[in-house]
Amino acid sequence: MARLIKTEKEVEGRYTDTWIVVEEDTLDQWPEGPRDSVGRPATRIDGLQRARGEARYTADIQLPGMLHAAVLRGPYAHARVKRLDLEAAREAPGVRGVLGPIQEEVGYPGQAVAAVAADTLAQAEAALALVEVQWEELEPLLDPDEAVARDALVSDARTSERGDVERGFAEADVIVEAEYRTQSVLHNSMETHQAICEWEARDRLTVYISTQFVWGIREQVAEHYELPPDQVRVVCRFMGGGFGSKNSPDDYTYIAADLARETGRPVKCALTRRDENLAAGHRNATIQRLRAGARSDGTITALEGDFVNATGWGGWVSSTGGPMELLYGCESVRITERGAKLNSSPMKAFRAPGFVEGTFGLECLIDELAAKLGLDPLEFRRRNHSEHDAVDGRPFSSKNLLECYTRAQPHWERREQVRASSDGPWKRGVGLASQIWYGGGGPPSYAWVRVGAHGRAVVVTAMQDIGTGSATAMAQIAAEELGLPVDHVDVSLGDTARGPYASISAGSSTIPSMGPAVRAAAADAARQIIEIAAQRFELEERVLSLHGGRIVSADGGSWPIEEITGLLEDGQILGKGSRGPNPTGMRVLTFGVQVAEVAVDVETGEVRVDRIAAIHDVGRVINPLGASSQVEGGIIQGLGHTLSEERLLDPRTGAVLTQTLDSYRMPTIADVPEIVTDLVDIPDAHLTNLGSKGLGEPPIVPTAAAIANAIRDATGADVRSLPITREEMLRALREARERRPERVGAPAA
Amino acid sequence: MPEVRVNGQEYAVEAEVGTSLAHVLREQLGLTGTKVACNEGHCGACTVQLDGVPILSCLTLVHTVEGREVTTIEGLRDHPLVDAFVRADALQCGFCTPGQIVSAAALVEANPDPSREEIRHGMAGNICRCGTYPKIEEAISSWQG
Amino acid sequence: MELLRPDSVEAAASALRDGSVALAGGTELVPLLREGIVAPSALVQIDRVVPKGIREGWIGAGTTLGELEADPQIPAVLREACSLAASPQLRAMGTVAGNLLQATRCWYWRLKFPCRLHGGDRCFAKEGLHREHAIFANDFCASAHPSDLAAALLALRATLKTNLRELPLSELYRLPTQEDRATTTLGDGELILELTYEQPLASTYLKAMDRRRYAFAIVGVAASRYEDGERLVLAGVAPVPWVLEDPSELDRATPLPGTEYKVEIAKTLVRRAREGIR
Repeated sequence: MARLIKTEKEVEGRYTDTWIVVEEDTLDQWPEGPRDSVGRPATRIDGLQRARGEARYTADIQLPGMLHAAVLRGPYAHARVKRLDLEAAREAPGVRGVLGPIQEEVGYPGQAVAAVAADTLAQAEAALALVEVQWEELEPLLDPDEAVARDALVSDARTSERGDVERGFAEADVIVEAEYRTQSVLHNSMETHQAICEWEARDRLTVYISTQFVWGIREQVAEHYELPPDQVRVVCRFMGGGFGSKNSPDDYTYIAADLARETGRPVKCALTRRDENLAAGHRNATIQRLRAGARSDGTITALEGDFVNATGWGGWVSSTGGPMELLYGCESVRITERGAKLNSSPMKAFRAPGFVEGTFGLECLIDELAAKLGLDPLEFRRRNHSEHDAVDGRPFSSKNLLECYTRAQPHWERREQVRASSDGPWKRGVGLASQIWYGGGGPPSYAWVRVGAHGRAVVVTAMQDIGTGSATAMAQIAAEELGLPVDHVDVSLGDTARGPYASISAGSSTIPSMGPAVRAAAADAARQIIEIAAQRFELEERVLSLHGGRIVSADGGSWPIEEITGLLEDGQILGKGSRGPNPTGMRVLTFGVQVAEVAVDVETGEVRVDRIAAIHDVGRVINPLGASSQVEGGIIQGLGHTLSEERLLDPRTGAVLTQTLDSYRMPTIADVPEIVTDLVDIPDAHLTNLGSKGLGEPPIVPTAAAIANAIRDATGADVRSLPITREEMLRALREARERRPERVGAPAA
Repeated sequence: MPEVRVNGQEYAVEAEVGTSLAHVLREQLGLTGTKVACNEGHCGACTVQLDGVPILSCLTLVHTVEGREVTTIEGLRDHPLVDAFVRADALQCGFCTPGQIVSAAALVEANPDPSREEIRHGMAGNICRCGTYPKIEEAISSWQG
Repeated sequence: MELLRPDSVEAAASALRDGSVALAGGTELVPLLREGIVAPSALVQIDRVVPKGIREGWIGAGTTLGELEADPQIPAVLREACSLAASPQLRAMGTVAGNLLQATRCWYWRLKFPCRLHGGDRCFAKEGLHREHAIFANDFCASAHPSDLAAALLALRATLKTNLRELPLSELYRLPTQEDRATTTLGDGELILELTYEQPLASTYLKAMDRRRYAFAIVGVAASRYEDGERLVLAGVAPVPWVLEDPSELDRATPLPGTEYKVEIAKTLVRRAREGIR
């Protein structure tokens, strides 16, 4: 029965309270452990299509008569358009439409000012050179602290406090205080942001777009053009990576749609790689001024953090203080978060926004505190484990962080051996860091399952697979419920006109939001198959089940499923499922710990990460193979953030200096450490009919802190700023040498 | 009008001097398996083979490949590495994957049993933002098995 | 734009006048064309006229880095420099001569800031961000020369033969000045054809970079030992490849605030390289 409830909705750590109509989730969870399909490694159902180069991404779509748009992007961090002359561009060869000024004031380098649509991209680009702009340059604001001092914030500061922080520090035997900084990093999905817009009637628009959220695009585009949402169709069948940057339509979609309307032809607007690094968002830099106090028995008595996010010209304030609020059971915590409004591009969500940055600061600080107390860092974390949500006292729907710590123990115990393998200038050490993040997903999300005469099933839902393998997981879930082999289940997705509403693929939410809906739909279809079989074989429904592609009777009889579905001829069995509510009054979070082993060349500042063991608790694992890929991918992105990636801005003009991938350095295969993945795989008994949480984000959260803590273990040097480039490493070593000359060069005690 | 030979087929293409091979493959020949991700030689997504050697089609001007054999992912669809990549889960979003496989095919052609170090050296020109590298290493190590 | 395909050195040389440029592997030129940093009237495809191949002490200027990397008769310093340069695909495309003639990676120059190398009157790097920039000869222009091969070949006492002259490789390079912003001495219509080098007793190339592969040098050190002494050449530390007269020259480096770390790294790598060729 449909039920109206008030629920808390969380995406990327942002909560909103909404009314929502949900169907009751009546299915019991499967018992723990691998089943026929669920819990067993599955290769991607669309793997061959992608590997053979057959998959059509937005970048590959060519519509008849399609025009190409080129976008004029302002060269200044802050300027006003005094005059814009598009006439020469309009007359240029091949040009079919022009657009501008898109805005009068540009607030960051690369903000769109004008656009041209032409028969070919080369013609459009050539025409852009003919656009005349008169600029009035304005003073750019680039320093986050200065922005805070001037009260130039993107939104009001957020302060959150619990307990009595002053008393907490007064009770502390040891207090550490430090400033941590993280850099701005760029998503750099391999497929750049792009869209093709086609007006199929004056009030009907189709948008082909590389996105993480077809329904969100539909909603926003419909609102923008004042269309009924059902007259906007959004398609994203294959998608070349997003990592949080592709949740909204952005300027390029509206440019394509505007020019398509003007020209009456489909228009493609694709960002270049350089545009991508100028104007497609970033993980914002942070400044974190942190303080922590603890008693000598290892109880953390107070935590305090002042967080400044270099948010940019727009965007939102991701919760850099979140880990400090949530990770430990400390009674007294105070955080203040501010988002500086600057003349740099707006931030966008980037794989666990806020928590990646905040965990670096917090988990390094915790290690510094443990060192002062003379406590083992793993033991120190155990002693401050929180049994319930420390913010509001709610119970966790499930939490197996202590089990993660237990499983981390053997990796942690390699410490002596790793340190002893230090060799000449290469100092080796081990560090760890804990992970906390969201990832519970939520309603609404719907799926249909269609079974035809041939006995094969199709999951129909307008979700998207952004490369995480979510389509494969859905096929496994449906296969499990229908007792079919996975390769008898297809998944139709990526088109708002071809399936019901589905969750955004962000906030580690696809599996926990969609998976239960798919299971419910498959169960509905299975029930109908059994109803028909019961009539056909004159048996009671309760003695029948589906297994191994067969209808199985409790008395031992069994028939191929086609024997029943074959009776349908052109008929189809249609199952319908929806995501039930999240558990009332409980906090749904993911947990984990990573243990990093590093080698540091103390003479050249080179840092090599040799090994990372990743232990995470994300509830039931649907596909262990795909899950290990998610863990490796998160860690490797984290490795880049830790060591080599940084968006650099010219300090005078705010120009982005790292627009190209030779200067913005993401890891290559040669940089990758050994990665050991261990997922606890215990279903969350309170969460949906699956007990599964999301895994897209958790693995990137603790990587930087684990590496930095390993560096301290190896060298005695405190690195408090990302990325840990050679100069940063050498600086930290020099500082450590000046501070404690006896320790450097020998493994830390 | 340059004539180019791609996957064994001859094509006469119309293109201005300065046009890249990648552009012609994708926009004119419909061979969209070759991806363009940076268009300036910094990522490897557009890798194709020229006379069996992996090169970047975004930096190769189409007029310079006359008389030579271009092999794209479409010409390598039945290479055992394709299966090996899928089996090892060596792809996520898949946008870099055709380029990875084209590079890997040349690598194993020259050295059928590469060591882990040789794989890392030979595949370092193909960036994967999803981080499938450990699985790529595994796929290439196990491609015959 | 036109594409010319001369079939003799003479024809190539005469084609290479009046604002046309030579095209070999294209790895350097094509991006510069796209960005409009080079805007030639014609491209002269020179692969038919520039010698390729490797013989004892001799390298055709059209040989690719990939071919050099794989050839066992090539001295270690050059093989290692090739192997640590760029990526397999770029090494398969890029030629020796093209690599020697590549421009700086200075981001201000590449992003077309009107800097001194572009004929302007400022060095943006010196007043801005410059962690990848020079520690020597950086007063006028702080750019760093990125070629690993140039350092290796200088360490091998290489000599170049062009269609017009023979010259020690060191004379190919010049520091830019107020009057002349060029960083090479290559003339109009001049084409590098071949190189010769002296076989060392021992040699090595060490490179500090931000990734293990596929990155330009923060500091590259080419070292070789001959009967009459050692030769040390650095990549990534000056607007041209930098021959160290003596390791102590590093004590007299003039780093910018953001490149001091390079001096420290260079000192270590020079020491290690010298140990490596002993």
